[in-house]
Amino acid sequence: MARKALLISPELCIGCRGCQTACKAWNQLPATKTVNKGTFENPPDLTPNLYNRIRYVEVPSETNMVRWLFVSQRCMHCDDAGCIRICPAPGALFKTKEGAVAFDKNKCIGCKLCVAGCPFNVPRYDEKDKISKCHLCSDRIAEGLSPACAKTCPTGAIAYGDRDELIAKAQKAGYQKLYGEADLGGLGVLYAFKDAPKLYGMIEKPEIPETVLFWHKVLKPLSYIGLAGAVAAAALHYIAIGPKRDEGGE
Amino acid sequence: MTQYIKKATAAEIINHWLLAGSFFLLAITGFGFLFKLEWMASIFGSFHSMRTIHNWSGVVFIIALLGTVFHYLPVALSWSKDDIEWFKKAGGYLSKGVKVPPQDIINAGQKLFYLFLLISGIVIAASGFVIWLMAGVREWVLISHLLHNIAFDLLVIAIPLHIYLGTLANPGTFRIMVYGTVPVEWARKRHGKWVQRLGY
Repeated sequence: MARKALLISPELCIGCRGCQTACKAWNQLPATKTVNKGTFENPPDLTPNLYNRIRYVEVPSETNMVRWLFVSQRCMHCDDAGCIRICPAPGALFKTKEGAVAFDKNKCIGCKLCVAGCPFNVPRYDEKDKISKCHLCSDRIAEGLSPACAKTCPTGAIAYGDRDELIAKAQKAGYQKLYGEADLGGLGVLYAFKDAPKLYGMIEKPEIPETVLFWHKVLKPLSYIGLAGAVAAAALHYIAIGPKRDEGGE
Repeated sequence: MTQYIKKATAAEIINHWLLAGSFFLLAITGFGFLFKLEWMASIFGSFHSMRTIHNWSGVVFIIALLGTVFHYLPVALSWSKDDIEWFKKAGGYLSKGVKVPPQDIINAGQKLFYLFLLISGIVIAASGFVIWLMAGVREWVLISHLLHNIAFDLLVIAIPLHIYLGTLANPGTFRIMVYGTVPVEWARKRHGKWVQRLGY
């Protein structure tokens, strides 16, 4: 099956936050009481009950005093997902055939290692210590529907479709390189930025932590190679040289 | 009749079994998590209960490990020329008929092994508690996850060798973990200094 993705175009976003509401409606997530901090950005961060949100970035400059960027933020559905790599419970975090990084709360053991493995600081934990994050509406897309956020977006700032087609479309529209096109094996959420990603509040070059990669590539195989080597060395010593026996004296 | 002398106290024996038992549980459940072994999780009920067993075995492990400090640390820190000589001759393990210098109640290799175990044991326990109790604190968990796995790799190499040396490689050694006693003649060959100090 063709890999699915979201294409986010901040230039088209009007900051209505319909996506946040639609997401909560579909995923049956309760609202959270927040305080007015003098900005439309609300809530201030992702929570176990908020899978996606619009980040409001003010970038005043001399030529444009009121430059205001709206950036949809959520799980990036990495191809090479750090959370899945580090998770010790099989099936708690998994890839769907559409390429979404989904989760199964029943299989989550609440260790929170995924929080350490994620390059984007996405995984949140609910009150029962279970993983809670955007799953690209994996239940909807499995039925051929689009995710609730994309479905409800009135301007097309959140577009859903085949990943390759979305990239081709964006290139035709003049975006040479999309954010997330090649990072981490290719992200499942692509961004059509007109400026440096940093300006939009994104990490310039997202990567799985070095320690996690080293663990995965070296320490993991070394554990059973080392164990087998130690047992083999002992057996070899026993056969070739033999035990220290007491008979015979010095 | 064979004459026996006491090499380990009851407290020492029980403590060593607690350490060994908790390590065994920790190591196999550790492999279960490392390679997501469904069959291993089935033995312990589920990945949820395996996590609980792993974490609480860690509590037993660190208590037993700190208990060994009273039994072995003073002697493990006392080194002499004979210990260096012992290492130069590889403890007499690499060929037959090599005479090694007289050793204390534990030999030079055991001293080094103990110091290694103490350090790696503290590292693996401390990092384990960080992963458990500081879950979600990214930087702390990442460095602890790394240290936990490095110490794990070292321990799954060292402990099988320790078990081999304490059983098959040295017939008559394992009874220390059961009775705490050894034949005087056995001890004279392996722990000459200690036996002499006892006046045998």
